[in-house]
This record gives sequence, C-alpha cells and structure tokens, in this order.
Amino acid sequence: MPSRRGFIAGLMASSMAPSATWADAGAPAYLSAGKDELGLFVVAGLSEAGEVLFRHSLPDRGHAASAHPTRPEAVAFARRPGRFADVIDCRSGAQLARLEPPEGHHFYGHGVFSPEGEVMYTTENAFESGEGMIGVWNARDYRRIGQFPSGGIGPHEMLLRRDAPGLVVANGGIETHPDTGRAKLNIPFMRPNLSYLSLSGEIQEQMELPSDLHKNSIRHIAVRSDGTVGFAMQWQGDLGAVVPIVGLHHPGDAPRLMAADDPRLRNLNGYGGSIAFSGDETQIAVTSPRGGVVQVMDCASGALLAEHALLDVCGLATLREGFLASTGTGAVARIGTEVEHLATAPLAWDNHLISLL
Amino acid sequence: MSVLSRLASTACALVALTGMARADALTDAVIDQHILPTYARLATETAEFATLTENDCAPTSEAVRAAWGEAFDAWVAASHLRFGPSESDNRAFAIAFWPDSRSKTPKALRSLLLDSDPVVNTPEDFATASVAVRGFYALEYLFYDPAYADLTSPDYACAFVKAVAQGVSRNSAAILTEWQEDYADKLRHPDDRYRSDEEAHQELFKALTTGLEILADMRLGRPLGTFDNPRPNRAEARRSGRSLRHVQIQLDSLRQLAQLLSECDQELSQHLTQLFDKADRHAANLVDDPSFAGVSDPQKRFLLETLQQDVREIKEIAALDLGPKLGVEAGFNALDGD
Repeated sequence: MPSRRGFIAGLMASSMAPSATWADAGAPAYLSAGKDELGLFVVAGLSEAGEVLFRHSLPDRGHAASAHPTRPEAVAFARRPGRFADVIDCRSGAQLARLEPPEGHHFYGHGVFSPEGEVMYTTENAFESGEGMIGVWNARDYRRIGQFPSGGIGPHEMLLRRDAPGLVVANGGIETHPDTGRAKLNIPFMRPNLSYLSLSGEIQEQMELPSDLHKNSIRHIAVRSDGTVGFAMQWQGDLGAVVPIVGLHHPGDAPRLMAADDPRLRNLNGYGGSIAFSGDETQIAVTSPRGGVVQVMDCASGALLAEHALLDVCGLATLREGFLASTGTGAVARIGTEVEHLATAPLAWDNHLISLL
Repeated sequence: MSVLSRLASTACALVALTGMARADALTDAVIDQHILPTYARLATETAEFATLTENDCAPTSEAVRAAWGEAFDAWVAASHLRFGPSESDNRAFAIAFWPDSRSKTPKALRSLLLDSDPVVNTPEDFATASVAVRGFYALEYLFYDPAYADLTSPDYACAFVKAVAQGVSRNSAAILTEWQEDYADKLRHPDDRYRSDEEAHQELFKALTTGLEILADMRLGRPLGTFDNPRPNRAEARRSGRSLRHVQIQLDSLRQLAQLLSECDQELSQHLTQLFDKADRHAANLVDDPSFAGVSDPQKRFLLETLQQDVREIKEIAALDLGPKLGVEAGFNALDGD
C-alpha cells in the first residue's frame, strides 16, 4: 500500500502535468511542407503572421499534414508515391514517430484523425491491384491496426464529415504505379468520385460527376459545418476544353459546379491545387499554381467573385475573414479584397497549408 | 535561294534580322518542320495501311504486317505530341492505347473475337468500341500471338483488321485536318487557347519533356521494373520485337523537336545533340535485345539502365537550360502538380 505521502505526490504529478494541449504556448498556427535553400525537404510550423517557428527535416518531399484534435501533435505525410509519415510535436518540431505503410502500399500525401483522436486514417495506393485504400492507425502508439478500400482509385485528400460520423474521400481516379513514377496509367478509363465512408469503412454514399467530366480528377476537399463538401478538381483531358474546377456537394443532394460559365475559369489552367471555405462559410476559394491565381466563389450563387494573381500559389487556409495562401516562392499572404503580403520565408512552400488552431 | 529566305528558314533568323523579338518564328518552325510533317506522315501511312486492307486483310499476310509496321512507326514518331487535336474524341488513345497496365487490350480483344462482335461492321459502330481494341496494339496481339488468331474465323479476323486500319486512318486524318485547319493557327497567333507566344512555347516544351518522360519511365522503365523484379512482359510491342525500335524512333523525333526549340542557343543545341548522340549509341548496343527480354539478365539490363539514364539526362538539361529560355517558369508547385 502506498504511503499517504507517496499517494499525494502521485496525485500532484498527474494533476500538475496533464498531457500537453494545443493551448500550450509556442504551438504554431499552421503547418506546411517545403523545400529549403539547400534543396532539402522539411515540414515547418508557421505563426499566424506567417513566420517560421520550427523546421523538421523530412527524408523526401512532403505534401499535406493533419493535426491531432487535442494533443499538440501533427502528422506530416510524404508526397505520393512516398512511404513515410512523420509524427511531430508541434511545440518544438521534434519527431515523435515515423510511420511506414505496409509492403505494396504507398501514401498519397493526406490523412486525418478520428473526431476524438484515437485513430488516424491515411490515403494509400495498393499499387499491385491499383485499389485505393485507407490505412487505419492507432493514434496513441501509431501502430497499424487495419485498412479498408477507399471506394475508388487514387484516393487523395480525406477529411471528416461534419453532418454525420464518417470520412469523405476524394478518389482522384488516376492509377499510378511506383515502377513508372508518377505516370498516369488509366486516363481514358478513369472514374473519380467523392466517397462517404463510415469510420469503419462502409461506403455510405458516392458522388460521380456526369461522364463528360470523367477526366476531371476530384483531388482536394474542404468540409463546411453543415456537411457540404467543397471539391477541387484537376483536368486530365486536353486543356483546350474549359471545364469546371470547383464544385459543392451536400450528401444526399446533386453536386453543383461553380463558376461554370465564367470565362475566367480558364485562368486556373485546368488545375485546382487547394480549396478552403471562408470563415463565414459563404465563399469558397481555390488556388491554381499553374494559373498563378486564387479564385474566390460565392457558395450560394456559384458566381466567381474575385480573382487574385499570386505566383506559384498553392497552399490555402481559412481565416476568420478571407483566406491565407502560401506559394512556391516562399510567400505567405492574406487574401481579402486584395492580396496582403505577410511574410516571405527562404523556403518554397509546398502544396498545402494546414490550419492547427 | 536568297540570303533572306535562307535566314528566314531558321527560327532565330528573323529575330536576328529585324533586331526585335518575333517570338513566334520558333512556334512556326516547330509547327512547319516538326508537327505538321509528323502528323502528315501518320495520316499517309495509316491511309496506305487502310487501303491495303481493302484487298488484303489476313492477319498472316506479310504485306499487311509490313503496312501496319510502317504506320505504327509513324505513330511512335508522333506519340509525344499529345495536346490539342490528338486529344479530341480520345483520338490518340484509340490509335494507340498504351501502357495497358490492367491488360484491357487482350481482355477486350478476346471477348470481341470470341463473340464475333458485329461492332466491326461499320466505322461508326467501331468508333463506339473500347479504345483498348481500336488501335495498333490490339492488332499486334492478333498478328503475333497465336492465342488470338485462333479465337475466331479468318473472315472475322479480316473484318477486324480492316476496321482497325480504317479507324486509325480516320483518327489520324482527323488529327492532321484539325492541325491544318484550326490548331496550327491557335498556336501561331495566340489569342484565346494560348494567350501569348510564351504559352505556345510552353506547350511545345512540354511535348518534349513529356516525350522524354514516356521514353524513360514507360518505354524503358516499365520492362526494367526493379532489379529484384524485372518485368520483361511489360516491354512495349515485345510480341512483334519492336520495343527497341520504338525507343529509337522516339529518340529521333524528340531530337528533331529539341533542335528546333534550342536553335537560338548554339551551345545548348550542341549539348543536346551530344546527349542524343550518346543515347543513340547506347540504344545501338541493344541491337541483340530488340524486345528487352534482357532486363532479367544483369549484364543486358545494365545496357537498358544506361540508356534510361541518358534519356533522364536529356530531360534534366532540357528542364534546366532550355525551359527558362522559353519562358517556362519552373514553379515548385506549378511544375509538377499533385
């Protein structure tokens, strides 16, 4: 039996040293993968003002990241067809664990934690069969605990539903195999979809666009509090065709394509890089590094409201007012009525800017 | 030939002559000396093939196979020019569906032959068949793999050969016509599809780098697989022993495009020539391994890896030295999306 003194000491220790939370000082507001001056790959923590707070070295090029809902840690994913995901302490940038997918799989660069943070999900390619998979990991010790099909080929970004428990997965539809790098193997037959899955992998709903848009790869998503999913696409057909790049889908309803008649659509060069809703959820923005623009659209009317030029822009995050964007030239800028430059890092910011707060 | 017209025949000459940047001389040169002749040859060779099959369409006929081979050669020379007219109505995929990582061609061909599918009866019907059975690669199975010819009657096989020959000919003619009547103008006179000469140059540059990528990652990379797991059965057109031939044809065609794009920079042009010469020499070393079966033999595999390295080096120099000259922004995010 422990002494009273020992018992109190134990009590003190557990109450005075609770597990760390996001409220702890020093946690960054955003994460982004990047490439440094020497050509080395990192994931960095950024302050709200876009200043770099830490850098963590990655073995190869990163892509997106996902933040744990309560603990100040995040997982930075390798860009496809990479095979690492680094768990990082977001207060210091220290590495807590490194995940590797099972043999025959590679990561696609995105993943998400379950609502309570017990489990993490990763989008993966089971490349011999070509089937899209979701890897399931214990988010305490980061052991692999399962997997299930993603509902399509080439699952890319995946987020939690907000209208019901479950996952929403953008199955881009494009088959690749690590033997042939990033070469696309099935363009004439590709069929992208948005798949709604339960947290244990049952397919609850799937959304496919009409067949004339089957070459529009649904790749990136954002989820509004009412459960509406904003999706950004990448056109794999000829660029002579001007096609919609952004759509909205509420589960159970038909999808809506945004700005479909606006001639400025072509300024996206057939390519949406990241997508985010505005803080008040009335607008949705998309970045296009190929077009060097950010376009902001009205969710209700579908109209293109504004277009901002920004060289090699790709990362995008929601702000209370407007959006925050990052670029391959190292810039971080606020997108409001105009582009307000906040900071420039000696890093090339990679595809995605992940909000932590 | 006058001095002036001789000068005007090269892409840089006009710039030098007038002292001002008439950027589209480069676009003109690539269209007139590379794209139109390449697609014209494809249209001619496929038309000859189609005409021949009206009288002689047996899969075993040497004349048919020879005409198929010449038309296939012409396709490979055009296979990096994948934008605009080639992409309308899936024309290029219907002419040549490759790589076929899920064996769609043999599967679809097998069921078509077993069913004697009447879809071959008219060009309009055949245009609705899967792209996987409508092109050169489907015929290769029929011509060079006895397992397929035996699946059907000689009459049906003949009708299928005719249908494919007519289909590739129609698609090739459609690509050429669209280039001549519409698309060449869009590239030459930037307005809507291309909004500046730089955008037109970027498209042409992308054709070069895409071609080099297909060569390194697909034509060479697919059979190479990995050292522990070489994949000789993935070599392109291995049944007809054309794998190396396709690599050499594509190298020739890409060399021509690279020379036109780099004409204004003599040093770079010479450097690229040296690199293509090296790749040609290394390709010639593979003469005894025309279908790349040697990927499983470390000695022969080395020769293929060397050639793949050569192609990647050309691509690297193109990206590093040629791209920036053509106004191609090597954006970290823009260059290679995800």
